[in-house]
Amino acid sequence: MNATARRGSGWTPWLYLAPALVVLAGLLVYPLYQLGLISFLEYTQAQVSGGEPTTFKGLGNYATLFGDPQFWQVLLATVVFAAACVLATLSLGCALAVLLTRIRAVPRLALMMAALGAWATPAITGSTVWVFLFDPDFGPVNKLLGLGDHSWTYGRYSAFALVLLEVVWCSFPFVMVTVYAGIRAIPAEVLEAASLDGASRWRIWRSVMAPMLRPILVVVTIQSVIWDFKIFTQIYVMTNGGGIAGQNLVLNVYAYQKAFASSQYSLGSAIGVVMLLILLSVTLVHLRLLRRQGEEL
Amino acid sequence: MKLSARIAVPTAGFVLAGLAGLTATGCAPQTSDNSAKKDEKSGTLRVWLFREVSNEPKQKVVDRAVDAFRARHQDADVEIEYIPVETRAQKIKAAFNDPKSAPDLIEYGNTDTAGYVKDGGLADVTADFEAWAEAKDTDPAAKQSVTVGGKVYGAPLFVGVRALYYRTDVFKDLGLRPPTSQAELVTTAKKIRKAKPAMYGLAVGGAYTYGALPFIWANGGELAEESGGTYTSAIASPAAQKGIKAYTSLFGPDNCPAAKCAEMGGNDTVTAFASGRAGMAIGGDFSHAAVEAGKVKGKYAVVPLPGVRAGEIAPAFAGGNNIGVLKSSSHRTLAVGLMKQLTGKKTQEELFDAMGFLPTYTDVRETAAKKQPFVEPFIKTLAAGAKAAPASPGWAQIDSSLVLPTMFQEVVSGRKDVAAASGDAAKKMNDAFGAAR
Amino acid sequence: MTFVRRPWRLAAEVSALLIALAVAFPLYWMVLSAFKPAGEIQSAEARPWTLSPSLDSFRRVFEQQEFGRYFLNSLVVASIVVIASALIAFLAATAVTRFRFTFRTTLLIMFLVAQMVPVEALTIPLFFLMRDLGQLNTLGSLILPHIAFSLPFAVWMLRGFVKAVPEALEEAAYIDGASRTRFLWQILFPLVFPGLVATSVFSFISTWNDFLFAKSFIISDTSQSTLPMALLVFFKPEENDWGGIMAASTVMTVPVLVFFVLVQRRLVSGLGGAVKD
Repeated sequence: MNATARRGSGWTPWLYLAPALVVLAGLLVYPLYQLGLISFLEYTQAQVSGGEPTTFKGLGNYATLFGDPQFWQVLLATVVFAAACVLATLSLGCALAVLLTRIRAVPRLALMMAALGAWATPAITGSTVWVFLFDPDFGPVNKLLGLGDHSWTYGRYSAFALVLLEVVWCSFPFVMVTVYAGIRAIPAEVLEAASLDGASRWRIWRSVMAPMLRPILVVVTIQSVIWDFKIFTQIYVMTNGGGIAGQNLVLNVYAYQKAFASSQYSLGSAIGVVMLLILLSVTLVHLRLLRRQGEEL
Repeated sequence: MKLSARIAVPTAGFVLAGLAGLTATGCAPQTSDNSAKKDEKSGTLRVWLFREVSNEPKQKVVDRAVDAFRARHQDADVEIEYIPVETRAQKIKAAFNDPKSAPDLIEYGNTDTAGYVKDGGLADVTADFEAWAEAKDTDPAAKQSVTVGGKVYGAPLFVGVRALYYRTDVFKDLGLRPPTSQAELVTTAKKIRKAKPAMYGLAVGGAYTYGALPFIWANGGELAEESGGTYTSAIASPAAQKGIKAYTSLFGPDNCPAAKCAEMGGNDTVTAFASGRAGMAIGGDFSHAAVEAGKVKGKYAVVPLPGVRAGEIAPAFAGGNNIGVLKSSSHRTLAVGLMKQLTGKKTQEELFDAMGFLPTYTDVRETAAKKQPFVEPFIKTLAAGAKAAPASPGWAQIDSSLVLPTMFQEVVSGRKDVAAASGDAAKKMNDAFGAAR
Repeated sequence: MTFVRRPWRLAAEVSALLIALAVAFPLYWMVLSAFKPAGEIQSAEARPWTLSPSLDSFRRVFEQQEFGRYFLNSLVVASIVVIASALIAFLAATAVTRFRFTFRTTLLIMFLVAQMVPVEALTIPLFFLMRDLGQLNTLGSLILPHIAFSLPFAVWMLRGFVKAVPEALEEAAYIDGASRTRFLWQILFPLVFPGLVATSVFSFISTWNDFLFAKSFIISDTSQSTLPMALLVFFKPEENDWGGIMAASTVMTVPVLVFFVLVQRRLVSGLGGAVKD
């Protein structure tokens, strides 16, 4: 860093940072603190509207939560579902990114545009459209496959599968575009040299491309994990608030239902804290990976 | 500087800050102050009423009542909003949370009375109700539905009781007669479905709690038992389980396919019947207008829902809606005036004519029955003894956390058997009753 | 690339086109169904075209509810969030790239960690915060949190764009006697503007698409609703008005599509920058 940039710093950077810090402190850090606080209180509608005093419950909410078999079931469903989504999104996104490098401009543009369309589609409209496609009465999919009025949202697994399709549809473009940009950034000479040396395509991928793409792959993986773990809209809209008898609940929807439908705000907050801790550990993994790459910030 | 050290510092800082925050006290979110600050004699009164399956006739009656009210209160404006019944719990709770956006008056189901009072949302109107001449004729059961702990929290709007709607043309075609026992009801439903596969025999819904309750009661079951002011769930008792079995046996390809019907609620079954997609449905007096407006007008009749033994009437759920003033209303006097207008004898009479809502005044109901023969099966059902939901504040929570729909859906979808599902439901109910005590 | 042989390339291109069709199909079906007359939507066969397009569904959407108003509400929220977060993030990004000060790296990592916070988990405390601020049922209850949540990512991404502006330029500006403020707004800002636009896509989309906050914070005053909630009104288990739902979905999707296509080039380069850094 040279002298001019440092000239007269002192308070200036803090002045520039002030609005951002104020906003983040008020709307991110303070709510985080409140989330933790509420999870230790007895806080239902009666306390909220002043019918009864708020009392401290210690770990009571967590005890209730961990003693509820439904919570473990939802947690398991969330983890498995998110893992399936991440896996499907990444493999499709990477495969298509590689495909993009092998084709001429026109088909590439077509695939890019289609993917951007899916990417840009709001989660809620994407959900409505996919539900419609698979609607038992009027959807084209059942008619095409001759399934009569088979309902896709009735069975637990077929409902999750339907949501997974929508999630993959709207999130693979991010992976595809990013990885494609990463591949394009690899100098062509390197690849040509490798192929002149007689390396197989798999070898080239393993030993040349994969290591160079690693940082990008780490970022898209972590992002996908975070997005898919906290999914809300798709499940809420496509399975009508968590499916028949709550069979398609994931943590985020479960927390919402507990807090805003049953007004057990403290239980909902406890679920939120659990979610937060899980995602925080994912973030720590991310930071460690960054560190291993020796990234300079 | 190595990155590892840089990470450790802020992360630890974050965690420490969090911990410090948690141990500090006194920063709990405030509770909303729902007590009204003033009683303005002019301004806009906001009212939330439920949106019915066929809402237009209701809207007309309400508009007339509002006009009459405004003729007497020139300075007052009235803004009516019709809200969907399915999401009412969230919306009304939100209103309790945010007095600023809250309406002055709400329509609410009588099962919610205790819960809303406990939440501190409804205003005590005992004095106004006692001083109101028309209220003297209120049916005692209806008055009970607005009373909590001896205080009155609103005025009854109508009595809701459900009976069996059936398609006269379909029955004639197939040579059927209205079922007189529960067993016959089930066989009749299956016969219809067999002959007309595009129709549900009896439209049922996994989320249609109030359509399912008569099956539990008819078999001698109960939702909960009270002793000394505390409630204990009885949903897992053998008798109740028998009723659950009877109701859930109606889900399946031979009557109402689970894939469709497990999700349906009361309004959905009425919609299905009104649009000609069901041979029978369990509908209320309040569903009358919707069915009349549908494709089946003139092709249906109503009988009481049969009980277990031939000739018996299954105990119906004593439903009904009330109109209450919110505690947070800053126009209390005006709001009480409008409440009286909306629930007065004249409006109830008109609502009956337009919608089929059974009046809550004994005298008005009698004249209504004479005028309109269609209410006869409903009045018969009432007379045979209708049952109410447990009058515990816990009930609102049981209702809004979908304990019973979840139970029915679990059985219907085959995920649990009746014993397991009802056992789990009983546990959840007891938790709610316990918390509400 | 030269080492890919011809037949293989052809096969790859055909499959790329087929995949493009499959990916685009849901959107096509959405627009198509929005224009189909009611009878055709409910007919037994699902034809992938319509010979008699009609605007009935759109008319129903705009007449049955104040859909125009909800559209406007959504637009207001998204615009304010985009502008406010872009400006705030620009300042912050400048601070962390063009100055050296204690806690700089700490702050950067905080921004990174903040990016990872699942904002959805904060719905409950934010609900009470908004209530205490008297913002419940106002557009402010959506604007404020979204500004906060788009900031960390925006700062992180803008960093690359600010860094790319040569330091020599800054020195030259100071030598010419420009003040720090003048440099910031009249030289740096225009240069970073393309990056700001790319960054804005993310805050725009996350705000425009927001469903959870809209559903939780704006319940009792429907005049303040945004599009997602209005869309859901057409959902009923027994009788879905698919024409209406698809028309409403189309109205909600098109602005994002347009925005996206407009900035797509910059978006890709911007992402590349953010990821590589």
